[in-house]
Amino acid sequence: MEIIKSKKEYDVIVVGSGAGGGMATKILSDAGVNVALVESGPYFDPANPDQQTQLKWPWESPRRGAGTNRAFGDFHMSYGDWSLDGEPYSSVDGTDFKWWRSRMLGGRTNHWGRISLRFGPRDFKSKDFDGLGENWPISYEDIKPYYDKLDKLVGVYGTKENMFNEPDGFFLPPPKPRLHELFYIKGARKSNVKVMPSRLSVLTKRINNERGICFYCGQCDRSCSVYGDFSSSSCLVIPSLKGGKVDLYVNSMVNEVITDNNGRATGVSFINKENGKDYKIKGKIVVLAASACATARILLNSKSRAHPNGLGNSSNLIGKYLHDTTGAGRGVFIPELMNRKIYNEDGVGGMHVYSPWWLDSRKLDFPRGYHIEVSGGMTLPQYGIGWNPNDFNKFFGLRTGGYGDSLRDDVKKYYGSTVYLSGRGEAIPLKENYCEIDPDTNDKYGVPVLKFRYKWSDYEYKQAKHMHDTFEEIAYNMGGIPLGNKPTKKDNYGISVPGEIIHEVGTTRMGNDPKSSVVNKYERLHDVDNVYVVDAAPFVSQADKNPTWTIMALSMRTSEYIIDELKKQNV
Amino acid sequence: MKRRDSIKTMFLGSIGASLTLESCITSEDKTVLDQVWQYNYGRTTEELKWDYKVLTGKFFSDTELSTIEKIANIIIPPNEYGSIKDAGVVELFEIIAKDFSTPAHNQYGEKVLRRGLIVFESICNSRFNKSILECSDEQIKSIFDDIAFSDNKDEDLQEAIRLFAVYRGMVLTGYFTSEIGIKDLGYKGNTPNVWDGVPEEILKDYSVSYDEEWISRCVDQSKRNDLAEWDEDGNLLT
Repeated sequence: MEIIKSKKEYDVIVVGSGAGGGMATKILSDAGVNVALVESGPYFDPANPDQQTQLKWPWESPRRGAGTNRAFGDFHMSYGDWSLDGEPYSSVDGTDFKWWRSRMLGGRTNHWGRISLRFGPRDFKSKDFDGLGENWPISYEDIKPYYDKLDKLVGVYGTKENMFNEPDGFFLPPPKPRLHELFYIKGARKSNVKVMPSRLSVLTKRINNERGICFYCGQCDRSCSVYGDFSSSSCLVIPSLKGGKVDLYVNSMVNEVITDNNGRATGVSFINKENGKDYKIKGKIVVLAASACATARILLNSKSRAHPNGLGNSSNLIGKYLHDTTGAGRGVFIPELMNRKIYNEDGVGGMHVYSPWWLDSRKLDFPRGYHIEVSGGMTLPQYGIGWNPNDFNKFFGLRTGGYGDSLRDDVKKYYGSTVYLSGRGEAIPLKENYCEIDPDTNDKYGVPVLKFRYKWSDYEYKQAKHMHDTFEEIAYNMGGIPLGNKPTKKDNYGISVPGEIIHEVGTTRMGNDPKSSVVNKYERLHDVDNVYVVDAAPFVSQADKNPTWTIMALSMRTSEYIIDELKKQNV
Repeated sequence: MKRRDSIKTMFLGSIGASLTLESCITSEDKTVLDQVWQYNYGRTTEELKWDYKVLTGKFFSDTELSTIEKIANIIIPPNEYGSIKDAGVVELFEIIAKDFSTPAHNQYGEKVLRRGLIVFESICNSRFNKSILECSDEQIKSIFDDIAFSDNKDEDLQEAIRLFAVYRGMVLTGYFTSEIGIKDLGYKGNTPNVWDGVPEEILKDYSVSYDEEWISRCVDQSKRNDLAEWDEDGNLLT
């Protein structure tokens, strides 16, 4: 096989251009470090009219935006979802795990919900509180300066609340609540559930002259063409390319970290997806940010005499402690919101209000908390609208179904009268939940793929049950009727399939002891002093907080550490 | 690569790259090319190939398409905003029949959409000894009266009831995702604007109000263009 080798040696090779890789590229290249950024997908810029989906109407797609090609519909900005042609994975032991992969510059930051929550002091030391899982080797105080810098660099709106374990930051002002959100505030307060402005990385106010300000189209999941929301590509990578320190390799699937006889990394090999050829590039340092499971896969596939069971895997823990956020949700019909007067309430691409975890877990039968997200309103019609035009008639003893002019009126009558409540909770990381190499299956590039084993524990089921009890109470307190049946034990309390919330973390967890962790507190492999991991793989535990803000703060911290190491010529 | 070039490359690839575009293009190909071109909604090369496939060829016969149009017009009759035709509903049936063709879709076009026509035709035929196209609207409505409501428990009609619900869903979704349907619905967004809260008169209508303390911390839209600056405690100064 022909392998094309480049003579140039980079200071740092960054693998993956999402939240972690984009931040590393930005911090390193700003400091004058020569960076090769290797991305498995194509170049992407939402300002490019040929790639833009923002502000498109449903009829601009021949299938009216249906989810044939993209799981969340034609306009959703992710190249790739839970399945990719020719790149399979499987689950074992009767379990199920769904693995989302966005193959594009900026990765999943182009479609994410922009919910930007800091982990709190307790989130880093949860074991001290409930004896479960493991503590992080760092504390909130270690990471706080980076959260502060991140807030100012990237922008996040929110309000100072002085709440335990929900640290405040440098916030832009939040948008005013929408009408259904006022109903939620009323209902939540009646149920003694704390409710406050959400915290999203959307620019409600100018933070620099390179990025535009939010113009309230409600479509952050399509990636903003004026960069009014945060995406790694728009806000970190593309600006970094202008500095002349970054070589970007797109459509380049890294399959292995290459090591020398002493087991130190010397570079990476990748397959160019356009010509199918193999390439090798050299670097003093390798920074992996391919996403938790893809990073684990690369490491496990990087076998050598020095690292017979995968690079950095002397602990045998790579792939273990895989965990995702828990999810459960319930729709609520609000009769008072029927026959709405219509005005533009798109707002930002997500909720304007939410409920952080508000209870003391010691008084409950499950150890870790969850937050509640709210959606609804008079949203842009998409494929599926009107499918059951008058289902809610049943609440008034009227017939459902029919045909004729009255159907139009039914759709209008019920438009904007549904609110959806979603719980997002913390799971306990378990060694028994993992991904590993499936030696019997290769992807279309000839590289061994992953298989998963993931089961929720009773803690997560009890948490989902609590979510549903809460949703129902809030639903009634906001004058609504919860839709469908409340899931029971038989339905696993309606908990999401692991991977569905797309917050998978933990596959190279961080710690001080090389026997019980894969990377140290600077996200460097214990076994190899020039390989780092800056995606969510090093997470010891995933709070209920959405991982992106913490991925980026840690990546910033690690990048500064790398700059120091390079200055000291330790590498 | 520019969109036009990438469509051209994709198109050439699909009909044999050794030929030039001009020498081998049939008039039918050209129609398809124009159709792919008409939809400009940020596709990747793979997605363009898929769209090309979906927009090529024919699933329903002309008779079937006319039948769908007739049914659709009874499900949603024309009004001042336009008709089923204006909303592109019939084209949507044709496209979805070809588009929902992955293994997961389990032959949706054949087993659901075409099956619907077969079942409706057979009821029509047994009752009136005529095809749907030959029947009067009143005759068709008399059938719909039996199959358009989920509370009809007649066992012989359950398949028809299930399939009618799909047809109704497709027609309504097609209508309300079209330009005229969205106008009819009255949706006001998908355009740059400045959100400054629920309009005052709406708040009054629902007897709700903004909590002063909450609203005092929300964005002052007159200052949205001022560069954000904070003191060291994170208090916004601008």
